[in-house]
Amino acid sequence: MSWQKEVEELERLRGMIRGMGGPEALQRRHDSGRLNARERIAALVDADSFSEVGGLTGRADFDAGGRVESLRPGNLIVGRARIDARPVCVTSDDYSVVGSAGGATVPGKFGMAEKMAGELRLPLVRLLESTGGNSRALEELGRTYIPQMEGWEHVVANMGRVPVVAVGLGPVAGIGAAKMAFSHYSVMLRGRAHMFMAGPPLVARLGETVTKEELGGADLQARAGGVDDVVDTEEEAFARVRRFLSYLPGSVWELPPRAEPQDDPGRRDPWLLEAIPRERRRVYDMRRIVNAVLDLGSFMEMGRKHGGSVITGLGRLDGWPVAVIASDPRIYGGAWTAESNGKLERFIDLANTFHLPVVNLVDVPGFLIGRDAEMAGTIRSGSRALSAVFQAQVPWCTVLIRKVFGVAGASHADHSRYRYRFAWPSGDWGSIPVEGGIESAYKEELARAEDPVALLAQIEARLNEIRSPLRTAMAFDCEDIIDPRDTRPLLCEFASHAARLRNAGPVATAMRP
Amino acid sequence: MPRTPVPSPIKAMVWKIEVAIGDQVSEYDPLLILESMKTEIPVDAPCAGVIAEILVAEGDAVQEDQPLFLIETAS
Repeated sequence: MSWQKEVEELERLRGMIRGMGGPEALQRRHDSGRLNARERIAALVDADSFSEVGGLTGRADFDAGGRVESLRPGNLIVGRARIDARPVCVTSDDYSVVGSAGGATVPGKFGMAEKMAGELRLPLVRLLESTGGNSRALEELGRTYIPQMEGWEHVVANMGRVPVVAVGLGPVAGIGAAKMAFSHYSVMLRGRAHMFMAGPPLVARLGETVTKEELGGADLQARAGGVDDVVDTEEEAFARVRRFLSYLPGSVWELPPRAEPQDDPGRRDPWLLEAIPRERRRVYDMRRIVNAVLDLGSFMEMGRKHGGSVITGLGRLDGWPVAVIASDPRIYGGAWTAESNGKLERFIDLANTFHLPVVNLVDVPGFLIGRDAEMAGTIRSGSRALSAVFQAQVPWCTVLIRKVFGVAGASHADHSRYRYRFAWPSGDWGSIPVEGGIESAYKEELARAEDPVALLAQIEARLNEIRSPLRTAMAFDCEDIIDPRDTRPLLCEFASHAARLRNAGPVATAMRP
Repeated sequence: MPRTPVPSPIKAMVWKIEVAIGDQVSEYDPLLILESMKTEIPVDAPCAGVIAEILVAEGDAVQEDQPLFLIETAS
């Protein structure tokens, strides 16, 4: 007596489920150069590590004898696997099953996957490709229904529990777009993925004639901040996912793992001494500075196309994962814009959620000014960014690279904490910059002078003496001015202290998407 | 010959134009300097080619995405 017969039947049924939408549908995908839902999982996770949940779930047709004749799977594949030997949960939309639209949805499966990740405290990767609901499903159902966000209690909770990564690999419309945005990191495939609340046919009824690329292409969404990053191939997307997860703990109840240090913590890049132009109006390459002070090759920028005056990304210092914020003077001189405010708020909350110490490289002339900036609600979004700065509990280290002006500049750290901070000799700060103000402030002297040009130069030289950051340091208003080449050794020291200070557990102000 | 527009990366004032019509430029050559938030922000050539049109003048206010130049490219 054994259960051999049943086990064989299980295998037969599993085979049908693994057949997905059938050979023809799979061939069409293959011919168009797309991976299918199971190939995607295999390409993402460690070899042979995928263990499916719901591997028998589908709609069966039975023959006269009650034997399953065919079994059509639902449109969502769910399971657990490992990435770089660490456990994760994975979901993969199966587009070969009637386009992965609502009709093939297995009730409860999506929410159970989210609950699994949250309760097992495992990162969740969503591989997304699905259309929204369609009217045909209504006829099958024979009635309409009040929409509700099934499983969303877990989706929302997971933002404060486990790393969630969303990958857009085809159309992600309606709820698919929401599954993209509800993540800590999202990446989209250029040319193949399109993300929007409703597609071109519906939008046309508003009088907008647009292609799906024009409406929700990857580059548009990256610029709008709807998605963090854009890649050209599915393999690249999976590589980004693995890399993002490498900096993060498995959940908020753990700490970010240190990698084997690959770089000398005492390395001093000589270029840093000349990185900042002596002429204050000139720009420079902040990304090169970031790369020079972090462990070589460890910086992974997130959201480059959106809110560009602030650079955000993850990196390592002597192997310890850190969250890096840096100003980009090439975009609005590094000023905080409405867009960069939102980006900052989310990024700081991300760091706080997953206990990543923050390194902030500052060159901030203030908030962006002007009528457009006011209309964009810059002060409202800026206030939210400030709240994130002041609510963050993670260790925080500031390097004042150049400008620190106005409210935005003043918010480079919560000043009431121990100020782990140093400045470069190019540091330049105050409530109002000197430039442009001299002519009006010294108008009379200049008008009386025989040689106004020479006098102007004299006054400028005098003021520049006063604005020297050394004077600020002498008054202990700045903790130290350093040789820029010492930045990396000092940041590595910070990371070693910060490592001890990180506290595992949920935080009060977890990231909101 | 295709003409590639060079959009302004930000809303700003045009401070200095550094090229003339007919100039041959390489990718990353500075074409123009914008001024915003007391900072000089260079706009570099996105590709190699010849400056076919200059669409703004020094002192102009430009919007984000507004075309500044047309560059004629070989292919």
